[in-house]
Amino acid sequence: MNKKENYTAAFEELQQIVKDIEEGEISVDDLSGKVRRASELIKICKAKLTSTEEDVNAILKDLESTDS
Amino acid sequence: MPQLIQDKSVFTLLEVSQSIKKTLASRYGSSFWIKAEMNKLNHYSHTGHCYPDLVEKLDGRVVAQMRSTLWKREYQIINEKFLARLKEPLKDGIKILFLASITFDPIYGLSLHIQDIDPAYTLGDLESEKQATIAKLKSDGYFYLNKQLQIPAIPKRIAIISVETSKGYADFLEVIEKNQWHYKIFHFLFPAILQGENAISSIMYQLDKIRKVVHHFDLVAIIRGGGGDVGLSCYNSFELTKAIANFPLPVITGIGHATNETVTELISNFNAITPTKLAEFLLQKFHDFAQPVNSAQLRLIQLSRLILEESRHDLQFEARTFRNATGKTISLNRLEIKNIERTLEKQSYAHLQSQVIHLTNLSQLLKKDSMHIVQNESSALKYLVQNIPKASSAFFVQRKRNLVELENSLRILSPEAILKRGYSILWKNGKLVKSIDDVEQGDVITSMTVDGTIVSKVESKETKNNE
Repeated sequence: MNKKENYTAAFEELQQIVKDIEEGEISVDDLSGKVRRASELIKICKAKLTSTEEDVNAILKDLESTDS
Repeated sequence: MPQLIQDKSVFTLLEVSQSIKKTLASRYGSSFWIKAEMNKLNHYSHTGHCYPDLVEKLDGRVVAQMRSTLWKREYQIINEKFLARLKEPLKDGIKILFLASITFDPIYGLSLHIQDIDPAYTLGDLESEKQATIAKLKSDGYFYLNKQLQIPAIPKRIAIISVETSKGYADFLEVIEKNQWHYKIFHFLFPAILQGENAISSIMYQLDKIRKVVHHFDLVAIIRGGGGDVGLSCYNSFELTKAIANFPLPVITGIGHATNETVTELISNFNAITPTKLAEFLLQKFHDFAQPVNSAQLRLIQLSRLILEESRHDLQFEARTFRNATGKTISLNRLEIKNIERTLEKQSYAHLQSQVIHLTNLSQLLKKDSMHIVQNESSALKYLVQNIPKASSAFFVQRKRNLVELENSLRILSPEAILKRGYSILWKNGKLVKSIDDVEQGDVITSMTVDGTIVSKVESKETKNNE
C-alpha cells in the first residue's frame, strides 16, 4: 500500500515545498536544495503517470497458483 | 362406447381422453388472459417452436404448474414486441400476462396454447424486480458500498471485464492507449458474457477470479458496447449487483446503452454512458494529478526566480549602502589618524625634551656625587697607608720575642744538654736500646756520653720491679 501510494506522498511533499517557499519560509541558502528535491519529486510524480510496474506474467502466475 | 365387462362399464384410454377433450372444448371454448411466471421458455431453435414451462409460486413454493405451447409464428411476433418495448427478448424467469386457450391432446395431455403475451405487464414486472433489487441492496447495506471506495489518485492498473472482440472494448483501449500525454495504464482482460441471463454467472465468475489477484489492480472496469440495448436486465440481478457492490476494488462501468440505468450502473463506483467516456474519465484522473504537479512546477520556477531576484536586489542595495558607509568612515578615520599623528609628534617631542633635561640633571648629580665618593675613599686609603708601617713593626717585634723563647726551650731539651747533665745513650748494633728486653747477656753495647763513647759487654741484666 505504501509503495502504491508513493506518488501521493511525493505530491504532498512537493506541495509543502511550494507552500514553504510561498510563505517565505525558505532562505536563499536552502533554496537550491529545496528546488533540487522538488524536481526529484516532480520526476517521481510524472514517472508514475507514464510508466507501469505491473507484469502480466505475475498475474497469470498468481491466477494459476490460486486455481490449483 | 363403454364395454360391459363383468357388470362394469369400461372405457378405453382414448375414449376418456376424447371425452375430456370434448368437455374441455365445450367448457373452455374461448381464450383467456392468464398471468403466470414463465420458468423456462424451452425454445427449440430447429423447429422455432417454444414449450414454455409455466408456474405460479406462493412464498417461493410452486402451487400450480402447467405446460404450454407457443408456435413459431406467434413466438417471432411476440419476441419482436418484447425487444422493442423491454429491450429484452422473451426469456426464462419472467412474469407474463398471456392470452391462451386450453387444449387437451390424448398423447401430450393438458396444455395452454399461448396466442399473445402483453409486454407491458412484463415490463412493469421487470421494473418492479429492479426496484426490489435496489430496495434489497439498500436494506442489506450493499447499495453504497462500492461508491464509498476511493479511486486511487492515479488509477493505473485496471482489470477489465469485457468481450475481446466487442466494439466497446476496442473503443476503450483506443482512448487509453493512444492518449497524447503518454499516460500509461496497465490493463488485463477477464473475458465474460455481457448480456443475457448467462452474463450474471459469467461476470460473477470473473469477479471471483479478479478477487484472487486483487493486489495487482487499482480498479475493475465492466465494459460493453456495440451489442445494442437488448438483454441488459441481467445488470439488475440482485446476486450480480451484490457481488459488484461488495467487491474490494472500485468497479466502474461503461455498459453503453440508451435505456434507463441498470442497478449495476447505479451502484458502481463510477458509471460512464459509453466505454469511450469511461476511458476519458480515467485519463481525467491522470490530468487531475498531473495538473497540480505541473502548476507546482511552474510556481516553483516563478517563486525561485522571484526569491533570487529579490535577494540580488537586496544585495545590491546592501552593497551600495556599505560602500557609502565605509567611504565615509574611512575618510573620518583618516582625518582622525592625521590628528593623532600630529598630537603624537608634538607630545613625543615635548617628552623627549623633558627627558633630556632630566638626564642632564642626573649626569650633573652623578658627577658631583662620584667626586665626593672618590675623595672620601682616597682620604681613607691615605690614612691606612700611613698606619701600615707602624702596625707591622710592632707585629714583627712580638714575633721575634716568641722565637727567642722557643729557641731557649729547644736548647734545654736537646740531647746534648741532656748528655751534659750526665745521661748517656745506649746502642746495640747501631740501634737505640730503650728497654731491658733489647739486650741479652753477652751482647756488646755502645754507650755515648757528652764527650765520647764506651764499648762494653753485658754481664747481667735485672728487670726493674715496677710496682
